[in-house]
Amino acid sequence: MMRYLASRLVTTVLIVIGAMLLLFTLSAVVPGDPATTLLGPQATPELSRRFIVEMGLDQPVHIRLWRFFVNVLTGNLGVDVISGRPVGSLIREVIPYTLILTFSAVGLAVLIGVPLGVFAATHRGSVLDNVLAFVSVAFIAVPSFVIAIFLLLIFAIWLDWLPVLGASRTGALGDEVKRMILPTLALALGWIGFIARLVRTSMLEVLGEPYIRTSRAYGLSERLVTYKYALKNACIPTITILGMGIGRLLGGAILVEIVFARPGLGRLIYHAISERNYPVVQGAVLVVVALFVVVNLLVDLSYSAIDPRIRHDTSNSGAAG
Amino acid sequence: MTTSPFNRRDFLTSIAGTALVYAIDAPAQTGPRPNITVRIDRDLAVLDPAHRTGPWEGNVMRVVYQRLMRQKANSAELELDAAAEIRQVSPTVIEFRLKPGQMFTDGFGEMTADDVKFSFERIGLPPKDGAKESSYKNDWLHLQGVEVKNKYEGRIVLTHARANLYDVVIADGSGCIVSRKAVEQRGADFATRPVGSGPYQLVSLERQKGATLRRNATYAGRKPYYEEIAIRFVSDARTTDLALRSGELDFAILAPSAAEPLRSVAGLTVNEQPSIAYVWLGMNVDKAPLSDLRVRQAIRLALDVDQMLVAGYNGKAPRLNTLLPPQILGHWREAPVYKRNVAEARSLLAAAGASNLKLKLLILNQAAYQNMALVARALLADVGVTVEVDAQEGGTFWNSGKGDTGKNIDLFITRFNGKHDPNFIMQWFVAGQIGNWNWQRWNSPEFDALYTQSAGELDPARRRQMVIDAQRLMDNSAAFVWLTNEANVLVYRSWIRPAGVPGWIDWQYDEFGAAT
Repeated sequence: MMRYLASRLVTTVLIVIGAMLLLFTLSAVVPGDPATTLLGPQATPELSRRFIVEMGLDQPVHIRLWRFFVNVLTGNLGVDVISGRPVGSLIREVIPYTLILTFSAVGLAVLIGVPLGVFAATHRGSVLDNVLAFVSVAFIAVPSFVIAIFLLLIFAIWLDWLPVLGASRTGALGDEVKRMILPTLALALGWIGFIARLVRTSMLEVLGEPYIRTSRAYGLSERLVTYKYALKNACIPTITILGMGIGRLLGGAILVEIVFARPGLGRLIYHAISERNYPVVQGAVLVVVALFVVVNLLVDLSYSAIDPRIRHDTSNSGAAG
Repeated sequence: MTTSPFNRRDFLTSIAGTALVYAIDAPAQTGPRPNITVRIDRDLAVLDPAHRTGPWEGNVMRVVYQRLMRQKANSAELELDAAAEIRQVSPTVIEFRLKPGQMFTDGFGEMTADDVKFSFERIGLPPKDGAKESSYKNDWLHLQGVEVKNKYEGRIVLTHARANLYDVVIADGSGCIVSRKAVEQRGADFATRPVGSGPYQLVSLERQKGATLRRNATYAGRKPYYEEIAIRFVSDARTTDLALRSGELDFAILAPSAAEPLRSVAGLTVNEQPSIAYVWLGMNVDKAPLSDLRVRQAIRLALDVDQMLVAGYNGKAPRLNTLLPPQILGHWREAPVYKRNVAEARSLLAAAGASNLKLKLLILNQAAYQNMALVARALLADVGVTVEVDAQEGGTFWNSGKGDTGKNIDLFITRFNGKHDPNFIMQWFVAGQIGNWNWQRWNSPEFDALYTQSAGELDPARRRQMVIDAQRLMDNSAAFVWLTNEANVLVYRSWIRPAGVPGWIDWQYDEFGAAT
C-alpha cells in the first residue's frame, strides 16, 4: 500500500510539472502583453517592456519554469502584475467559492443521480425507466451554461424566487446559500443525468451476479440486496467518474461563473488569460492541477475502502513490484 | 414492495414551502432607495490613481479622492473641487489654494499642498526610492514639479504650456489627490485600501465581485444623494439584462442591441447617449497596394458606412465623418460625407492598376465588429476586392500593430476611448506612434506639427482651427474610414437620475440622484 501511495505521489508531482511545462510553453507562444491588452493606447512601449520584465517573460522558458518552481516551493505563487497583489491572496479570495460550488454540485448530483439510477435499474423497461433515460440524456447533452440561462429565466425572472447574481454583496450566510442554488443546479443537472445512467448500467451488471442471486435465495430483503450488496459494488465506476468530475469543475465551471457573475477559479483564470496576466494564470492553474490530482488520488485510495479485492490486488502488485 | 419514508405529498409540501419563503424574500424593486447597485463590465483591481488600469477604476477614484477641479454634473465644464482658487499665472505656471478642513478618511488628517505635490509628482516625475513608474506618466507630460508655498498653497510648474492640462489631467484620474502619509504607510495595500477625502469612502473591494462605496461623513463638500452604492462586476450582457429585470441591478450601460429588449420592461428607463469613443476602418499606408492613394480612396468609396452601422449597431450609433465627435473642441462640422460610389471606386482601382485585390481585415472578435466586417467584405467584393476577415481575441488583437508585426496589417476596424480634449484623441496618429498605436503607419509631418502646436495653444479659437486643419490632412490621406462615435445606452430604474460627463466614459457617482 505504501509503495502504491508513493508511486501515486511521484505521478502526481510529474503531472504538475508536465502541466506547468505546457503552460509555460504556451505563454511563450501566445502573442500579447498585459500592458497593451489592459491599458490599450495608454500603454507606452516602455510600459509594455516593464510588464514583460516584471513577469519574467524576457527570460527563457526553462529559467522561468525553474524560478516558478523554486518560488512555489517557498510558498510564493508570484505577484499579479496588474494589481501588484500576491497571486496567492487572489486565489485564496476566490477558492472558497469554487470549492463550495463544486462540492455542492457533485453532492447534489450524487444525492439525486444515485437513487434515480438504482430506481431505473430495479424498474428496468418500465415507463419511468424510459422517461428517466430520456431526461438523463437531455441533461447530459445540454451545456451547463444553457441550463443556467433557462434556470435564471424560470426561477429568477418568471417566478422571482431566486436571485440572478450568484454571489452575495454582503457575505451574509443566508444570502450566500440562496445565491448558490441556481449555479449549483446548473452544474449538477448534467451530472445527475450522467450518474443516473452510469449507476443504472453498473447496477444491472451487478444485479445479474451470482452472489446477488444467492443473497435473494437466502431470503434477504430486496432493499438490503439492492442498497447494501449491489449498490456498493456498482458505485466503483461512479466514484471514478466523480473524481474526474470534481477535478473538471474546480477550474472548468467558467461559463456558469460568468453567467451568474460568481467569483471562482475558472473565472479568475479566464480573465487572467484574456489580460495576458501570466503570473495569475500560472498560479491559478497550478492550484487547479494540484487539486485535480489530489482529488483523484483520494478517489483511487477510496476504492480499497469500498472493495477489499482492490486492496488485495494493490498489495499483491506492490509485493510483486 | 418497498416503501419510501418520503412520499409525494411531502415532496410537494416542501416545494411549496420553499417557494413561499423565497417569494416573500424576493428583492425589492420599488424605490427610491438610499442605496443602489450599478453594473460594471470590467473588474476593479487598482484604486491607486498612479497605477489604475482603466476608466471603470477612474469612476470610483473620482469620488473617493478629490481633485483641484472637477466636472460639473452631466457636463464637461469644470468647477472648483479641493481648490478654493486656481489661477494660470503664466503659460507654464498654475497657482492653487486649497480649501481648509478637507479631511482624509481613516484618520490621515487634513489635505495639504504637500499632498497635492506628492500626488502629482508620483505620477509625472521619475519614481524615487525604487517605486514603480506610473502608467499615466504622460498625463503629466512637461511637469517640472509642484512647489509648496504653505499649508494650503502651491504652484504647478511646467516646462512647456499645456492646453489640455485642466480637462484631462487636473480634473481627471491623474489629478486625484492622495494622502502622502497613507500611501507611505500602506504601501502596495494602498491600491486596494485607498484613503481619500472625496464624497464617498470605499468600504469593500473584492476581486471578481466589485466594490461598495459609502457616503463619507467627513466630506467637506455637498453630500451625495445615495448613502451607499454597490458596484457589481458582471461581464455578461445577458446576465445584466436579467439582473436589471429582477431588480438586483439599478443601473448599467449596455450596447444598443443588448439594451433594446429592456425598453418594454416596466420601471426601467432606457436612454441613449452619444459616446466619445471612436471607431474607424484603418488602412496600412506602408503596405502595397494600400500604399497607393487611389486604392485607399477606392476602398473608401466602395464602403457604405450607414449600412455597416446598421449591421454593427442596429442603426443606433451615430455616423462619424471625421476624427473628433461633435462634443469635442475642433469637431470638423464640414467634413465630407462619403457616399458609396461603385463606379468611381472601380475606376480608381483601374487607374492604380489594381485588380483581383486580396486583403485581410483585422477585427476584434466582438459581434459589432464582426457584423460590420461582413458587410464591408460584401461591399468590397462588388469592386473586385476580396476580403478575408481575421477576428482576434483582445490579447492578440491589441498587440497586432506592435513593432514589425504591424507592417503586415492591411485593413483593420478598431475603437479607441476618447476624452474631452482634441489632443488626447489626436495623439495616436502622430509618426512617433508608428509601430505602437498608429496602425495606419501614416506619417505626416504637417499633422505632427499641428498636433504639437495645438497641444500648447491656449487660445481656443486658434487651437480649434489647428485641430480642424489636422483632420483635413487625415481626410486627404484616405487612410481612415470613420464609422461611428458609438452610443451608450443607459438602462436604469426610472426613479434614478444618473449622472456622467457627456460621452459616458466618466460616470459621476456622487451626482447620481432621484428622478423628479
